Amino acid sequence: MYLIKKNDILQIAKALSTEYQVYGPVIEPGSGQTFFEKVEDVSEINLSAPIPAAPPKHIVFPQADRILSYRYAGGNAPVEMKPDFKETPKALFGLRSCDLTGLQCLDRFFLGQEFVDEVYRSLRKKMFIVTNTCVVPFKYCFCVCTDSGPAAEEGYDLNLTDIGDNFLIEAGSAKGKALCEKLQLAKAADKDLAEKNRLVDKSITLFESFSTESKAWVSRVMNRITTGFAKEEVWEYVGDQCFECGACSFVCPSCSCFNVVDTATGDCSCDRLRTWDSCSYEGYSRMAGGHNPRKPVEDRRNKRFFCKLSYSQSKKYLRPGCVGCGRCDWVCPGDIGMPNVVKYIRRETTSRDQL
Amino acid sequence: MKQQPGVCTFCGTGCGHFMKVTGTAVERVFPSQNHPVSKGRLCVRGWNIHELLNTAQTINRPLIKKNGQFAIASYEEAIALLVDTLKALPPTAIGFLASPRSTNEEQFLLMKLARAVFKTNTISLSSDAGHRGCLNVLSRGTGMAGMTGSLDEICKAEFLLVAGSDITKQNPIVGSEIHLAAQAGAKIVTIDSRRTQIAKLSNTFLQITPGALKLAVAGIAKCVVQDGLIDSDFVRSSTKGFEEFSASLTQLSEQEITAKTGISIEEFKLVAKALSQAKTAMAFFSSGISGLDEDTISYIFNLFAMTGKIGKEGCGVNPITGINNLQGGYDMGCAPDLLSGFQSLSDQAAVKKFNTAWGVELNITPGRSVSELLAESPGQLKALVVIDHDEGLVRDAAALQKVDFIAYISTYKNKFMDHAHMVLPAARYIEEDGTFTSTDRRVQLSVKKREPQNDVLPGWKLYARIAEKAGAKWSYAGPAEVMDEISRLTPTYAKLSYKKLASTFGGVQWPCDEKNPDGTRRLDIKAAGSSISFAKVSGAFAVPAAGKDFPYLLMIGKAQDFWHQNNLMRKTFIPMREYNATLLDYPEGYVEIAPDTAKALQVRNQWQVKVVSPYGEMLLAVKISADVKPHAAYVPYFARDIIAKALTGHPEIFKQGEDATIPIRIEKV
Ligand code: SF4
Ligand code: SF4
Ligand code: SF4
Repeated sequence: MYLIKKNDILQIAKALSTEYQVYGPVIEPGSGQTFFEKVEDVSEINLSAPIPAAPPKHIVFPQADRILSYRYAGGNAPVEMKPDFKETPKALFGLRSCDLTGLQCLDRFFLGQEFVDEVYRSLRKKMFIVTNTCVVPFKYCFCVCTDSGPAAEEGYDLNLTDIGDNFLIEAGSAKGKALCEKLQLAKAADKDLAEKNRLVDKSITLFESFSTESKAWVSRVMNRITTGFAKEEVWEYVGDQCFECGACSFVCPSCSCFNVVDTATGDCSCDRLRTWDSCSYEGYSRMAGGHNPRKPVEDRRNKRFFCKLSYSQSKKYLRPGCVGCGRCDWVCPGDIGMPNVVKYIRRETTSRDQL
Repeated sequence: MKQQPGVCTFCGTGCGHFMKVTGTAVERVFPSQNHPVSKGRLCVRGWNIHELLNTAQTINRPLIKKNGQFAIASYEEAIALLVDTLKALPPTAIGFLASPRSTNEEQFLLMKLARAVFKTNTISLSSDAGHRGCLNVLSRGTGMAGMTGSLDEICKAEFLLVAGSDITKQNPIVGSEIHLAAQAGAKIVTIDSRRTQIAKLSNTFLQITPGALKLAVAGIAKCVVQDGLIDSDFVRSSTKGFEEFSASLTQLSEQEITAKTGISIEEFKLVAKALSQAKTAMAFFSSGISGLDEDTISYIFNLFAMTGKIGKEGCGVNPITGINNLQGGYDMGCAPDLLSGFQSLSDQAAVKKFNTAWGVELNITPGRSVSELLAESPGQLKALVVIDHDEGLVRDAAALQKVDFIAYISTYKNKFMDHAHMVLPAARYIEEDGTFTSTDRRVQLSVKKREPQNDVLPGWKLYARIAEKAGAKWSYAGPAEVMDEISRLTPTYAKLSYKKLASTFGGVQWPCDEKNPDGTRRLDIKAAGSSISFAKVSGAFAVPAAGKDFPYLLMIGKAQDFWHQNNLMRKTFIPMREYNATLLDYPEGYVEIAPDTAKALQVRNQWQVKVVSPYGEMLLAVKISADVKPHAAYVPYFARDIIAKALTGHPEIFKQGEDATIPIRIEKV
């Protein structure tokens, strides 16, 4: 454990920038919106920025990514094929705990199964992760219900906590420790850790009422969904409200579904793109030949919640598929983000009032 | 960080987004959380707009058709051909078909090109009828030719009426605002013949007989009068012409209303009561090709005027434009009889102002709309300049054959190119600054995010080159100067400038003038000290009746993914896949019928049937759905070629768009 003066915190990012491409929370000045982006200069990074509007998923899993390009002039001409991805060392500086957990979910999906996804692996390799404890939660957050915050517990190289005049720095890896030693950071005392713990406990009390009320409810709803006790009518009620925009999947740090398309770039050349996809789309589950196991929108909608909140799925992620970032709540035109759906299942809401 | 703010240019909602552009590629798109209207949301189209912007299916070079084949030409050559051709013709033989997708600056310059350079007033927008009707009603009624409310006040309305619009599919984020208002306690009433998503999300859904929307609205108005629910103070102090309207309602009988709409009078009474008792209320209906007719809009307007729901916070009669800059198109005067800002060509002072500014003598005889001319006087038009056309004219293919010369100016390749004799490319909207006016009169600046590809000219520059070739002296340094000219000549845009727009997040709503330098959120009767005039109504309620020979009433509509004939969507992956999902199931289109109807006809899903109307017949697959009532049937718009064929010789029916109701019989084949 180390300490660094608050004003000096970006020195760490600066040190990282010699070896890594640095990404961090940046506030877009016109709108005040936070993005987690690659920075040209570490001074762009703002550690007190609110939770980024989009998770850092795009760094390892871009919205539209050319993974291959090929050329075939026809006849006996050879096919030229060029895989198109490369490893660049990256430092994610100031990641929120939920987003780190999301990244770990993606790791399990892309790397932890029978097939290892080479594109993901090359983007994910050589990464230095610096997390930032949320001493104040944001409006939509409910990581306290999903065991993913407000402070990161593992998986980081360094974890930062704003404890007043200083940041407390915890090293979670040899790499992290080495950097602190190299920068000759001051050692922290037990009281600094106690202060961090106090701040985290306080942060937990500051969550919106949904999170404080629903802490147990997320796991209870997982039980209901897994055992088939979530009513059909509730799914219909939820499905009716889905606008099929795909946003919930796109902003979700743990959503990993993709589409692969080949698109002509010239007469004989083609790019292969991997793009984000969403289970809310009808075409997503349509099979060749026309059969669609999930044609009605309510079936597609409950798919998402099965994926996030059923035991069979959570075995894949070794935790709930939802990391409580609240983004799907923010972006959903149908007002059926995770917290509301949990609420509807819990209250068995199935209809609205007539005039 | 290179996240740049911008505006989604698909529909008239005008959602805010951020785009990350690297080199020539749009890497990704993200919703703008603090945008006053979209507040962090986008629909399926908006989320995938980068797919369209990255497509290689663009027009990259000027093309001139020689012996039936397009050959690459230089800009000089192509512009010379265009100008020489137009100059050789009398102005009455020249038409300009503007695009509701172009920026305001482009539309303004095209309007100037048509009137000041080529002396023709035959300039119109490609989806003219519907929105013009809305603007006529609103401008006569309030003096403001645009939505009287504001999208960012939907959350303040206690009562929301959705009239015949599949709004969650057409303008999803407007639909979302309505839904969120209801989640927070407001009441939604939807009137439609088909159970749409917003119908399912409504507190009350009046599923009327197809074609009876106007009568249903009049029915509610009648209940307001009968049950003493009029806002008399408001009517007395702030309106004119109520007596005439109220008298027109007395001829309507309850029996007629119920018989023709299929809805009991009690239900209308409930709606009337809820509307009157709400402190604030808004009405929503689509405009553009799927729009309502002027008479129906007049009834909606009058209903809201008599209940005092116009010109106050959280209130409004709100036409919703399907295409992003349809409102801007009218604001910029892309109509046969209008100058910018809804100033009429018959307004001498306005014409004088333009004459002085432009150093010309404008022709003040109004032109005609291009689609009307093509339909009614084929052969009169000898040359046509068409911008970004992605809908509609297919039905006029035969009339287009008679036009000697068609110049097509567009960004993306599409079928319309086949009709053209020459093609000029225009840059994508992210390759130049420009403003768009969304449905709530919100003018938003979309900034340039990258250089045009292949040295393609942006629209404004292209029009300026054409004007100069024709001998005019135009000397704009850029779109900002075009906006300066717009603001000098357009009272509603008087105080708008790029400087102001660049420093305001989320746009500025017109009127933006001396009195309202920061723009005007909504019509404010009190502040303006103005009054509202009730709209003249016809009192005629012919509802197509099903009879012995034609027992079902057919409606025509469009589903989300077939949006605007889908020429743009076809250039994407995800939205196109969604389009194909239904198209693959029903390659030839489908007719949706109620389960009872299917039982009576003894048909099943995907079986083929013959749909026979007095005008023609078509073969379609059956789709059984509880969303339509027995005795009603629904055909989606994407089967338009089939519908068009079946309706050949009856353009008046096709023109009614989604409002068309056609008695049919269905035969098993
Ligand atoms: S489901 Fe929603 S709240 Fe949970 S991680 Fe995904 S976006 Fe965040
Ligand atoms: S964000 Fe909401 S409306 Fe959009 S697909 Fe997800 S659940 Fe449906
Ligand atoms: S609602 Fe309209 S403006 Fe908004 S994202 Fe969708 S298409 Fe774009």
